[in-house]
Amino acid sequence: MLEATDISIKAGRFRLRNVSLSVGESGCHAIVGPTGSGKTLLLESIIGLRRPDAGRITIEGIDVSSFPIERRRLAYVPQDLALFPHMTVQDNILYGARARGIRRTANDRIVQELVDSLGIGHLMNRRIDNLSGGERQRIALARALASGCNYLLLDEPLSSLHESLKKELWFLLKDLRRRYSLTIVMVTHDLEEAFFLGDSISVMMEGEIRQAGNKTAIYNRPADLDVAKFLGIRNLFNGEVAEITDNALIVFSKEPAIFLRLPVMNSSSRLMGVLQPGAKVMLGIRSEYVTILQTQAPQEASCCKVEGVIEEFFDMAASFLVAIRPFGCANGSRPVEAEIPAHLFYRLRLKKGHSVKLSFDDQKVFVIPCDSRGTRP
Amino acid sequence: MNLKRASIACAFVTLGIYAGLTGSLFYFFREDVWWETLLSERVLFSLRLSIIAATVSTLLALLVAVPAAFALSRYDFPGKRLVDTILEVPMIVSPAALGAMILIFFNNPLGIRVQEHWVQLVFTVYGVILAQLVTVCGVATRLTKAAMDEIPVRYEAVARSLGASPAKAFFTITLPMSRRGILAASILTWAKALGEFGATITVAGSMAMKTETLPIAIFMRLSTADIEGTVALILILVSIGVAVLYAVRLLSRNKTYA
Repeated sequence: MLEATDISIKAGRFRLRNVSLSVGESGCHAIVGPTGSGKTLLLESIIGLRRPDAGRITIEGIDVSSFPIERRRLAYVPQDLALFPHMTVQDNILYGARARGIRRTANDRIVQELVDSLGIGHLMNRRIDNLSGGERQRIALARALASGCNYLLLDEPLSSLHESLKKELWFLLKDLRRRYSLTIVMVTHDLEEAFFLGDSISVMMEGEIRQAGNKTAIYNRPADLDVAKFLGIRNLFNGEVAEITDNALIVFSKEPAIFLRLPVMNSSSRLMGVLQPGAKVMLGIRSEYVTILQTQAPQEASCCKVEGVIEEFFDMAASFLVAIRPFGCANGSRPVEAEIPAHLFYRLRLKKGHSVKLSFDDQKVFVIPCDSRGTRP
Repeated sequence: MNLKRASIACAFVTLGIYAGLTGSLFYFFREDVWWETLLSERVLFSLRLSIIAATVSTLLALLVAVPAAFALSRYDFPGKRLVDTILEVPMIVSPAALGAMILIFFNNPLGIRVQEHWVQLVFTVYGVILAQLVTVCGVATRLTKAAMDEIPVRYEAVARSLGASPAKAFFTITLPMSRRGILAASILTWAKALGEFGATITVAGSMAMKTETLPIAIFMRLSTADIEGTVALILILVSIGVAVLYAVRLLSRNKTYA
């Protein structure tokens, strides 16, 4: 288990404040956040490249905060991979073992297995400068794993690859993690990558972890407006708490005109003690949870319905993003966005100017108090 | 005249200054004097002394410059800015002043003690080496630091995360990766030592067949109005300099670390 507790570190004018994270054995924790949020700085302090001003780092219960890099046994793969250009592929892969004084050769069973599983056997005598991006990634992973470390720290290692190769390497990383019981901490700004590879996620912004934990919870219920925006949620509306009952939070929004009864089971449960009737809130829902119904569709009791007109739609290959302006909403206000599968879009024969009915699944609507981050003017 | 043309014209003006000066040497060039000068015992001694002294002073400078450059490139320590500034002193202070500083040091009690008990430096070959060393040590450190600055610290971090000690990371990663830069720095340092005049003549004097380096020999020839002999010696020095610069160009042509 790897734990970083209350890490604070200053780098120029930037400051990392009381950052904590924990990764269980054989787990994968993804740190996501916009550029300049402090993700790499956190990773560098875990590796030992930067000494934190406060906080501690423990690996399997041992405080390694004062250990030099080489004693932490954390294999680091930086964004540019830092393959040693003056060595062959084989020398790169065997570097860690040799540095630790392990007599390991290219014929060693562990190395051979690793090389086979990564498909780089034919590259062993090549130099680094004339390898492709994908080959370099594999060699960087092989080098890290051949060093005998079970902890892998990845700093946006796949960011420079094209989509298909990136996805191929996602599966490879999953496979390697299972096969070698690896514990991984990875930094990425690619949400898809974080959700695919990570068991848990931390969202970092301005040197702080704004939200951490279960990836599904973070995906569906961001803790504050900044996190919601970073996660790409655009359906965010000003609302107000109408009533708080024992088992529900009743909220409404004027634009679009919606009235929701949010059950205790969702984000409203942790807010019920905080919010009072009349409190200003932001209501949000991911565009894929907004359903487009034809206007003559029958009413369902559990859903909130809004009617409007299709203002614009965007083809995203597998799906369509449809912008709908609810009736009664001012022209300057943000439309409601619904992401629907392409086949459904074509089946519904949706066109600009069509009147449609929207359904908001109240299980998926989240509430952010207006005094939380990013909601203040 | 647009910016492009004006800047290119300035580049050719620079070329014209040096090419013109070098070309004008050939007005006084006489082949018989060239061969006679080149093969004379005194000039051969000067050439040998210049090459040996420049090589020794460069090696000594590198012994200090490489670790010092690593420290300046990789670590923060009290006084770092001061050290960094001092490195430029030999570049801004006249070599004659540097030589005078060395002479003054050897007239201090500590300097007198060094000369009496260790080694006689003033007016000896060792003085030539010391004068060159003092002149080039800062340059060697500055150029080596520039070479090491080009190697991202991540490479060492990765090496250490794989289990290498700081020393192992230095010898297996930093040093081999910056070898081209260090080699180029060495060559330029050597060339500067070879052409050193002011400090050398102040510390070691201009004794024929003893402390007379090639630049000092040029000065001595000129002071006796032997223009043809001076031209021959200048051409030898210029040839060595051009060859060295060409070698540096070849080394720095490939910009990868490997």
